[in-house]
Amino acid sequence: MLAYILRRIAQLVPVVLVLTVAVFGFVELLPGSIVDTLIGTEGGDDAETRAVLAKEYGLDRPVYERYAIWLGRALQFDFGHSLVTRRPISTELLSRIPATVYLAAVGIVLSMLIAIPLGTFAAVRRNTSVDYTAQVTSLVGISIPEFWFAILCVLLFSLYLGWLPSSGYVSPLDDFWGSLKFLILPAAAIGFRQAAFTTRLTRSSMLDELSKEYVDTARAMGLPERRVIFRYTLRNAMIPTVTISGLQLANLLGGTVVLESIFAWPGIGRAIFEAILQRDYPLIQAGILVLGVIVVIMNLLVDLTYRFLNPRVKLA
Amino acid sequence: MSAESKNRGPERTRRSFLKTTTALAGAGLVGLPGAARANKRHPKRGGTLRFGTRDDTVGLDTHRNIIYFVSHPLAAITGGLVDFDDKMEPKPAVAESWEASPDLRTWTFRLRRGAEFHNGQTIDAESVKWNIERIKDPKIGHAFTRSVLSDVERVTVDDKHTVRFHLKEPHAALDINLIYYPVNLMAPGAVDQADTHPVNCGPFKFKSWRRLDVTEMVRFENFWETDAEGNSLPYLDALTGRPKKEDRVRLTALRAGELDLIDNVAYADAPAFKKDHGKTFDTWPVPQVGTAMLFFNLKKGLLADKDNPDAHLLRQAIAHAVDHEGIHQAVFNGLGAISKGFYSSASSWYSDGIESWPAFDLDKAKALRKKAKGGDEKFTIIANDTFPYMQQSGEIVHAMLKDAGFNAVLEILPTPVMNDKIAKGEFNIDSTANSFRLDPDGWFARNVLSTAPENRRRIGYANEKADQLIHAARKERDRAKRRQMYADVETLVNRDLPMLYTHYVPLMMAGSHARVKGYAPSFTGPFSYSGGGMRRTWIEG
Repeated sequence: MLAYILRRIAQLVPVVLVLTVAVFGFVELLPGSIVDTLIGTEGGDDAETRAVLAKEYGLDRPVYERYAIWLGRALQFDFGHSLVTRRPISTELLSRIPATVYLAAVGIVLSMLIAIPLGTFAAVRRNTSVDYTAQVTSLVGISIPEFWFAILCVLLFSLYLGWLPSSGYVSPLDDFWGSLKFLILPAAAIGFRQAAFTTRLTRSSMLDELSKEYVDTARAMGLPERRVIFRYTLRNAMIPTVTISGLQLANLLGGTVVLESIFAWPGIGRAIFEAILQRDYPLIQAGILVLGVIVVIMNLLVDLTYRFLNPRVKLA
Repeated sequence: MSAESKNRGPERTRRSFLKTTTALAGAGLVGLPGAARANKRHPKRGGTLRFGTRDDTVGLDTHRNIIYFVSHPLAAITGGLVDFDDKMEPKPAVAESWEASPDLRTWTFRLRRGAEFHNGQTIDAESVKWNIERIKDPKIGHAFTRSVLSDVERVTVDDKHTVRFHLKEPHAALDINLIYYPVNLMAPGAVDQADTHPVNCGPFKFKSWRRLDVTEMVRFENFWETDAEGNSLPYLDALTGRPKKEDRVRLTALRAGELDLIDNVAYADAPAFKKDHGKTFDTWPVPQVGTAMLFFNLKKGLLADKDNPDAHLLRQAIAHAVDHEGIHQAVFNGLGAISKGFYSSASSWYSDGIESWPAFDLDKAKALRKKAKGGDEKFTIIANDTFPYMQQSGEIVHAMLKDAGFNAVLEILPTPVMNDKIAKGEFNIDSTANSFRLDPDGWFARNVLSTAPENRRRIGYANEKADQLIHAARKERDRAKRRQMYADVETLVNRDLPMLYTHYVPLMMAGSHARVKGYAPSFTGPFSYSGGGMRRTWIEG
């Protein structure tokens, strides 16, 4: 197991290197530059100013030279300073990542808490009212755009009922219980949508497993139905669910820009989006690199979870 | 008010000086700005105001970044040599008085004794000189800010409280350019923390900032201004900026009681909100110095006279195809007004003697388009995606031009891409807007004068007569004469059509009626102006 983990970590090195080239290259291909952002639309633009700013920000150097310098620093976890805010990138990212991880993790946990029981019962009680309810609910969840569901939640729970704040963020480290008030609506918006996908997946996986011979054998041996379902079948059926949930979590870490805007949530997705608009190269590069590494690590963790769920799965 | 009494420039500032010195003798009685270090606080007025804004600053260094009056909470920390009142008239701030030499090439400012930066450092002549030199450094100062000071050749110190600006050319409106937007003062001793914890001299002190999330500021206890009873301003204990980019998210947060005050109520929401919630929330239409327009690319392409002999005909056809009333209703929901020049009737620079642009006439537009060379060729409209009204205006103009038979395409672009296209001349029409040109020279000398870098970069307009008028107006002391000169330039613009003015940009604010007291916005936006804005606001309950 340990050898496998070390081997997988070693395999991450070329993946991350390719990622750095891709991140740096794509950012270079963006039209416009930080000089355009700094000059803005307010005037005062001239060739001299552009040249001075380009030199100030190192943009007068060849791209490979800038890549080498950036990679060298990134390997030492030094991403430099934001070209726009002029603050250390690490500070910018560290102030954003916890908020995003908090939201994404709670959203995914919430989705699994909804989806796994619902999908399991839908499969076990196939073609009953429970199954139909689960299927309709998941269909609605998939069909409703996330942002629209979020706005409905805000209108109902914030404006009309006044139970929860409509937007904002409080760090759980500052005030845990206070932070939950701000977390519930965005996490519910994420959780409901993701649960819709995961419910369908869990249901179909369970149906697949329930049709296998080992389930019939277990039942024939007289094992209690609850044990057959939860001890054996569900555990096997969880592998695709865990895979998808892991990927959903990785996706959510950078992909909640719209929800972050609606709930004024200071996440990393919005920070990278704003950085792209402003051509803040170091922040874009560092942000995407960090998210990329997180995705790679999430994949590794998902693979390792397979082994936990089913010891017969070979990790070699 | 007579035309003479409205005159700005050195004559007006001498009167201001006399008024100010008189006022200083009895500041506590008459309520004009009093001596610095007026620590007596109003016993009942305070609280923390939560302000929801559409935008946020991109960085903290107030020289590197433009800190907009409207929508950047950080504006509350800024202050400068000159202040202005709710009519946008210049008033003493850190500078108690000022005067220009007869040739308008030297301006002398006398500083308020005891005025301080937020860290307690005295604002003296050396610190003002340091600020101006730092802003003028192209590696540091924002391009717009530097352009405001482009005529300043050097700054000298006469004594601790007297600073002198030496100009390359005569300039009748330097004082207005030195208002804290954008020339705000920061403490020289705290320059190392300009990007992390800025130290300025406005009514509020910086506490913390997380971009697009929160800006926390606290009352500056030694701010120089007092109210009529001699209580020091501002009243508020603290101000919290809560940028929320989406207009309806901001409005919802106000209605849910999470914010006390918001800017930029969406045009589509404003009338219904006022009607349905007028008893619970105050709404204010903010007088604006913002104007939307279409810039035409005269540097190259179909609309450029040097590339197309019928370019002017095409521009006329476009002007006839644009239904200003349609823009007024569809984009601005009937708020604000159609513009025929840069300054609205709310501004003292407004003139009704401007010859209008070609009126909406679809048949005429079609006929001119058919007649003109290039009338069937494809051309590009670009619009910035930052402000909804710019892209909405672009969309509706695109539809109007299609109605007139033009082969137009529309591109909605982020600022860097748009600037790139503008620099390369890859557009024909730019749906845009401009604001806070506090003196007309700030507008005409940047966007109409043929030698101005911004005009050359963006439009490429050249009219000898307009250039003469702009140069002459800069040297003219008489305000009425200046206004007429600028009106004449506007007439030339509306004839030549390097741009087509469309609409004055309205701004609607809303606040909790029960909690927000003493507040009224002005031209300067929500934060700060002499005797008003956030300085005289307090929270109840």
